[in-house]
Amino acid sequence: MATYDGLFDTLGLRDWCGTQDSGAPMSMADLLAKSSGAVADSSLRDFPFPSLDALHEACSAIPQSRDLTLGLETGFLGIRDALRVVVDPLTQPLSWALEDMLWVMTETPWWAMVPILLVITWVVGRSWKVVGFVALVLASLAFVDHYEVAMQTLAIIFVCAFICVLLGVPIGIAMSRSDRLQSVLTPVLDMLQTLPPFVYLIPLIFLFSVTEPKLYGIAVILYAIVPVVRLTNLGIRLVNPDVIEAADAFGMTKSQKLFGVQIPLALPNIMAGVNQTIMMSLAMVVIASMVSAPGLGILVLRGIRNLELGVGLIAGLGIVVLAIALDRVTKASLARIDASQTSR
Amino acid sequence: MTRKNVKVSIRHLYKIFGGDPKGALAKVREGMTKAELLEQTSHVLGLQDINVDMKEGEITVIMGLSGSGKSTLIRHLNRLIEPTAGEVLVNGEDILSWNDAQMRTLRRESMSMVFQNFALLPHRTVLENAGMALATRGKARRDYEGEANKWLDRVGLAGQGEQYPHQLSGGMQQRVGIARALASNSDIMLMDEAFSALDPLIRTDMQNLLLELQDELHKTIIFITHDLDEALKLADHLVILKDGAVVQQGQPQEILLNPADPYIEEFVADINRARVLRVRSVMTDRKPDAPIDGEVAPGDNLESIIALAEGNLDRVFDVKNEGETLGYIDMKSVVQALVPRRVEAAG
Repeated sequence: MATYDGLFDTLGLRDWCGTQDSGAPMSMADLLAKSSGAVADSSLRDFPFPSLDALHEACSAIPQSRDLTLGLETGFLGIRDALRVVVDPLTQPLSWALEDMLWVMTETPWWAMVPILLVITWVVGRSWKVVGFVALVLASLAFVDHYEVAMQTLAIIFVCAFICVLLGVPIGIAMSRSDRLQSVLTPVLDMLQTLPPFVYLIPLIFLFSVTEPKLYGIAVILYAIVPVVRLTNLGIRLVNPDVIEAADAFGMTKSQKLFGVQIPLALPNIMAGVNQTIMMSLAMVVIASMVSAPGLGILVLRGIRNLELGVGLIAGLGIVVLAIALDRVTKASLARIDASQTSR
Repeated sequence: MTRKNVKVSIRHLYKIFGGDPKGALAKVREGMTKAELLEQTSHVLGLQDINVDMKEGEITVIMGLSGSGKSTLIRHLNRLIEPTAGEVLVNGEDILSWNDAQMRTLRRESMSMVFQNFALLPHRTVLENAGMALATRGKARRDYEGEANKWLDRVGLAGQGEQYPHQLSGGMQQRVGIARALASNSDIMLMDEAFSALDPLIRTDMQNLLLELQDELHKTIIFITHDLDEALKLADHLVILKDGAVVQQGQPQEILLNPADPYIEEFVADINRARVLRVRSVMTDRKPDAPIDGEVAPGDNLESIIALAEGNLDRVFDVKNEGETLGYIDMKSVVQALVPRRVEAAG
């Protein structure tokens, strides 16, 4: 006898519910009640919330909660093949890019790779202090034989952050121009940002085989694209309206305004977004090691799985110094942009 | 004075801010006041039946206190703000019917603007800012460099071209703003409180610079200000706005001598009349009996006459322009003109 029997009887829905399913397997609670010989306790304290399971007990036409999750799963599996036909070729270039970048960064000998990275650091940051710091970080990682894994991590970050900027800046610009698009995209961005990183991996595992690099590539991009979109949008919206008015008053076209005024003035904010994007892709790349992303994350994972304390800690510290190095380099370039236009 | 062509003309212009401006407009035309409109429909009456003619080669000053709608009005002239009803005629054509491309051409080539907060592009050099109008027309830097430098020199910023705006003082930034407007070679210049953000001495400098440039260039200038001294100094034609409506317009001298209502009377009460009033507004045609003590020009202000008379009240002067006698001025009428006239007394 279930709590909500009365409800369905009074509503006259008994026929719709069908006959009492005596043949169905008993719930654990019923079994326990039976074995203890007591009548099901119906005191107010145990009055159940009208959840799917509780309603199902009274009326078998109502599905159980496990049917919901099961339905989601079969639904997803149902569209999986169709989805794959579309998404697979679309994301294939990501796999190639990741594979190629990993190959380039690990196969290039260290005495060529390290100077190249230092030159990039100089070009971006224009600060000898930062170049020195990056050299120190790379040297210490190489000294403890973490050079190759560090390069793998960096390769993934470079590719993913680049794609994030490539997609995120135009999306942010579009958002800044349309209030409607902004109100549509804001909840999506909120969701992407708050979804626990592991959750990204679940549907992706079903979609792609675990050996494909794009599996973790997509997860990293989805997680890390949010700040660059948000800050591009914000940066353009924050451009001094007086300056925009002057641009209008002198007859600038929309694209002259965008490329000549809005983007240059939003650049400090956009760069702050790029910095955050790089930081977040570093965070995600560690988690993505669970789905075969190579790099320092693998070692952290090994530390957890095999309880190898030292391996895990060293790899973890390696990630920290890598993060600091990336942060300093992007901050240096941000400072450089800011200095050239200390504002009004 | 020769009749000048009307360059820009505003006809029956209304601007109402709110959700349903057209509906509110009908109510205003039925005679609802600004306060009633705000209370009953929560629409703001920005501008109400504005009619102003701005003549070619003159400085038209639109003056009013904050909230009087003067900045809104000037933005209708290049359609940064769209009116609710009315016409804006430039060279006789109603620009409200123009499409985007025509408006862009107008803004690029025949109407430039100077802003209260300078509104320079902070990421471009002074030279690039001065050449902004030309660059917008698609000219490469080497093509506009000469023109931009010429105007920078003219406003007194020679050699500052490679600086960034934030490295300059406020007064210098506004000079860049003026150079930017001049370099566009437009015949109409809109100046929105262009000197209000500057300190008094620099403001006087800039006013003199503007008058000097105007002597040379004869642009049609529409100047917005809340400062009566500035308005009287610059204006060929003065328009006084209050609560979005024109209270009085005409030659500044005329407004000073014949204020139309107590509001303007109060406005002009604190003015140094001796410095603003000119001989031509006070002189008479009647030949005096007394002997003539000297010659003055019609454009001289009364202050200089008093100085010339050395304070004596019995002097009479000939008003001559290029040798031709236009009239006579005696010290009695000079002193009388210095006392503000009451509206009741003036009739």
